[in-house]
Amino acid sequence: MASTRVLLSDDHSFMRRGLRTILEATDGYQVCGEAADGLETLNLASQLAPDILIMDISMPPPNGLEVAAKLRDSLPKTKILLITMHDSEEMLRAAAEAGASGYLLKSDAEELLLAALRRLEENRPFVSPAFSPDLARQLFE
Amino acid sequence: MNTLRVLIADDHDVVRKGLKMLIEEHPGWEVCAEARSGREAVAKCTQSNPDVVVIDVSMPDLNGLEATKQIRKACPRAEVLVITHHDSDEMAAAVMDSGARGYVLKSDSDVDLVRAVEALGHHKPFFTSRVTEMFLANRGGRVSDPAEMLRGRLTAREREILQLIAEGKTAKEVAVVLGIATKTSDTHRTNIMRKLDLHSVAELVRYAIRNRVVEP
Repeated sequence: MASTRVLLSDDHSFMRRGLRTILEATDGYQVCGEAADGLETLNLASQLAPDILIMDISMPPPNGLEVAAKLRDSLPKTKILLITMHDSEEMLRAAAEAGASGYLLKSDAEELLLAALRRLEENRPFVSPAFSPDLARQLFE
Repeated sequence: MNTLRVLIADDHDVVRKGLKMLIEEHPGWEVCAEARSGREAVAKCTQSNPDVVVIDVSMPDLNGLEATKQIRKACPRAEVLVITHHDSDEMAAAVMDSGARGYVLKSDSDVDLVRAVEALGHHKPFFTSRVTEMFLANRGGRVSDPAEMLRGRLTAREREILQLIAEGKTAKEVAVVLGIATKTSDTHRTNIMRKLDLHSVAELVRYAIRNRVVEP
C-alpha cells in the first residue's frame, strides 16, 4: 500500500524535527517535504501535492490560516491539519472557515498526532479534545 | 572522551522529542533528563547534574527565566541555553539577566542549536550576532527593558508567586505548589500588589502578561 505523503510546515525547526521523528517511526507515512514559512509552504505544496499538510498557524507570512484558505481552492485533495498552541474558540472557528480538516493543539501533538492523521485519511475531521465535541461537530462537519 | 550530558526542558512533548533527536545524533552527547515545567527542570537538574540545560522560556508553574536563575544558584556548574520564540530586545536582556549563557530562537536552525550546545559544553557563551549587537548597545547606555522594573522590585519568591497567580492558581493552590502556608502565600500576594500598585487579581494578571511573566 502506498504511504501517505505528508508535508510539514512550522517555523520552529525543533517542532518539525519532532513531528518528522514520530512519522518516520510509523509505517504508512512519508515526509515529502518541510517548510519554515507560509510562502515556502505554498510553493512546496504546489510542487508536491501532499496527501496531508501539517501546518502551524503562527508563521512568517502568510500565516497558516491564510495558506489553508489559498490551498482549499488550488489543492482540494490535500487535507490540512493545523497544529497550534492557540486554544481559543475564535481560532478554532477561523481554522474551520479557512478549510482545515483538523485542529491539533501542540500540547496534544505527541499523543494524538497519529489519531488525527488517521481521521483525516478517513475523510473525517479531527479536533483536539480540549474543545467541546458539539462545537467541533458544528464547525467541521 | 567525556560524555556531554544535557537536560531538556519544554512543555511540548514533540519539541522535546525533536531536541532529543538532534542532541543524541551528535557523538558524545546524551540527554540525561527531560522536564515539562520550570519547576521540574530545577528539580531534575539537582538530581541529574547535567553539563548543559536547554530550556524553553514559556512553561507552566515556573517560567524558563525564573527556573534558570534557580538552576544557576543550585547547580552553578551547569550552563543554561534558553530557547524561545520571542525575538525582542527585552527578551534577550531578560535571558542574559537570568544567568543563561546562550540564547537561540526556535526559528533558528538546528545548526545554531548544535553550535550553542557545543559552545556551552566548553563553558563558552553563545549568542546570535543580533543579540550580541543589542547587548553591546545596552552596555553603551541604551537600556530599555520593561521587565527590569519588575525584576528590581520583586523578590525571586514574589516573581514565582506572581506567575502562579497569573496562571489562575488560588492562594491555597500557590501554597501547596511552593510548600508554604496559605497565610504566607496571601501575604506575598498582598506585598506584590502593594509593590506594583495593583488593586485586583485581574490587574495583576494583566501586569504579568504585559511583562511576559506568562503567555497571553
